[in-house]
Amino acid sequence: MSEHLQIEWLGALRYGDALERQLAALAERRRGGPDRLLLLEHPSVITLGRSARPEHLRSAPAVLAARGVELFEVARGGDVTWHGPGQLVGYLIVDLAARGTPDVSAWLRRIEAALIEALGALDVAARRIPGLTGVFLAGGGRPRKIASIGVGLRGWISWHGFALNATPDLAGFDDIVPCGLSDVAMTSVAEALGVAPTQALFERTRGAVAAAFERSLA
Amino acid sequence: MSVVVTLPQLGESVLEGTIARWLVKEGDRVERDQPLVEVTTDKVDAEIPAPEAGVIEAILVPEGETVAVGGELARIGTGEGAAAEPRETAAPERAAAAPAAGRERSGPPAAVRATPAARRAAEEAGVDLASVEATGPGGRVRRADVERSRGAEASAEARREGGPRAAAPPRTREPAAPARRPGRAAPRARDDADAEARARFGHYAIQEGDRVTPMSPLRKLVAEHMVYSKRTSPHVGTVAEVDLGGVAAVRNEQKRAFREAHGLPLTFLPFVVHATVRALREFPALNASVLEDAIVEKRDIHIGVAVETEKGLVVPVVRHADRLSLAGLAAAIEDLSNRARTKKLTADDLKGGTFTVSNPGREGNLYGFAIINQPQVGILRMGEIVKRPVVRPIDGQDAILIRPIMHLALSYDHRAVDGAPANGFLHRVKELLEEAEFDL
Repeated sequence: MSEHLQIEWLGALRYGDALERQLAALAERRRGGPDRLLLLEHPSVITLGRSARPEHLRSAPAVLAARGVELFEVARGGDVTWHGPGQLVGYLIVDLAARGTPDVSAWLRRIEAALIEALGALDVAARRIPGLTGVFLAGGGRPRKIASIGVGLRGWISWHGFALNATPDLAGFDDIVPCGLSDVAMTSVAEALGVAPTQALFERTRGAVAAAFERSLA
Repeated sequence: MSVVVTLPQLGESVLEGTIARWLVKEGDRVERDQPLVEVTTDKVDAEIPAPEAGVIEAILVPEGETVAVGGELARIGTGEGAAAEPRETAAPERAAAAPAAGRERSGPPAAVRATPAARRAAEEAGVDLASVEATGPGGRVRRADVERSRGAEASAEARREGGPRAAAPPRTREPAAPARRPGRAAPRARDDADAEARARFGHYAIQEGDRVTPMSPLRKLVAEHMVYSKRTSPHVGTVAEVDLGGVAAVRNEQKRAFREAHGLPLTFLPFVVHATVRALREFPALNASVLEDAIVEKRDIHIGVAVETEKGLVVPVVRHADRLSLAGLAAAIEDLSNRARTKKLTADDLKGGTFTVSNPGREGNLYGFAIINQPQVGILRMGEIVKRPVVRPIDGQDAILIRPIMHLALSYDHRAVDGAPANGFLHRVKELLEEAEFDL
């Protein structure tokens, strides 16, 4: 069954290496390989999607480089975002046509739903905000974003995916206007639960996310 | 047969996409499922693959433009004839009948060894091959030998014996049926100087497998104009690096509203033309002509905009470009390029330019120097717009920023214009583009 989802944990992987990994998975999927969810963590990196605006980068690239933050322009939708340790990144290499849902809007909603389910399993109440892509903490006030989503399509095969803040140092986002949303604050699972950002919590988050996608895309 | 590639329905709420980047160009052969183009939507960046293998016949939407779902992006020629056809029509008889020129014949040995071209020339001229002195390798008679033996005009060329280009093709008659009888690709000699130069430097002898296309009338006109311009006018080139960040911001902010208000895409070209016109006002030396031993500075500013069409390069003219707003320029340019592509330009559309802007676009075009469109004295050529790292002060500190950069190359006629005003003019164009104060 080509529609089976194969989930792989890749550990910490530099952005460029992960990109190659994604491209290899894409090529395999095109040859009839499985749909994949690649779960991993990136060292500090800032990526700019196709609709990124330069002013959403708050620090000069030279400054970032000096601090060891890489900078990439990426063929995905969306604006600028940060990835780093403690953030669970999921790359979904999924053939939408083979799943009978060639609709990118529906696909984005489906990723959001799986993340909301995973967060629910961790006792974090999350929701969508109509008109915005991503997952936010439930409740009123200023929107607090916990997961970002940005996918690209090659034909009907989707790649890139989501980044869920499990236990990152949220200062990583200070260099950018996340996803171009200046009135949105970034938060994390640890912050939402009011607990320490431990490795154990990161691993629980990873388990919950894998389980939710396994159910959603099995 | 051809298939049309359209922007697919990517999702329920996705209504349109912007062409981010073409990954192929016209004439490229593509495999089925090969990515053709990157399209950006508000949701995703999507690569559209080729539905069939074939040859890209036409790219219908340029980069930066927005297309509705279902809009046509490109046409792919499929089937056998797609690529091979023009090659075959170029020289059907040659392909069928003539074995290698410059290679041994594989059939039974002829009484006289001669190249196929020489045989044909001898037949046409009624010359007996056996009576011709052979100078070719292995004692073969070459076409030049035939020409010489009948005392043809081309004998001067043929006397460069042993040189690889010594063989002179026969003079073409009127190109009545050029495809059936491949002659020279170059225009005929137009004066003695040309004939003499050809005699001295030789020219190419057509080989088996070459594709020979007679020049269209437009091609000939362009060729003549280019040679005339280079010969008449000493060209000097100078390049400016222009940060289009400001223009890009204005464009991004305005293009939707602009399309709604004017029904037009907003490209970079009208911004460049607008800045050029304003700079020409300040540097009239560039809006001039050389008339014998006088220099004429013109009051009116009419900007020629070089447009690539299927048939070749044409340069329609935006008249009184200095009286037009940015929107007016965009509309005029759009109208002229549409009419150029649909061959509806009138002779008047092509007349009276006082300065030219050329936008060859496409990737791989860092900068280049255009040839001046006579009798003007300057031409600006836009390079590709690419994000590059540049050094800018931020809070008193030098920092490296990523900005969209275009190289803008000015060719000017040094008979009429010296370096200082030319550089001043180019710098002013750059300043105006970087200030990006444009009223739409």
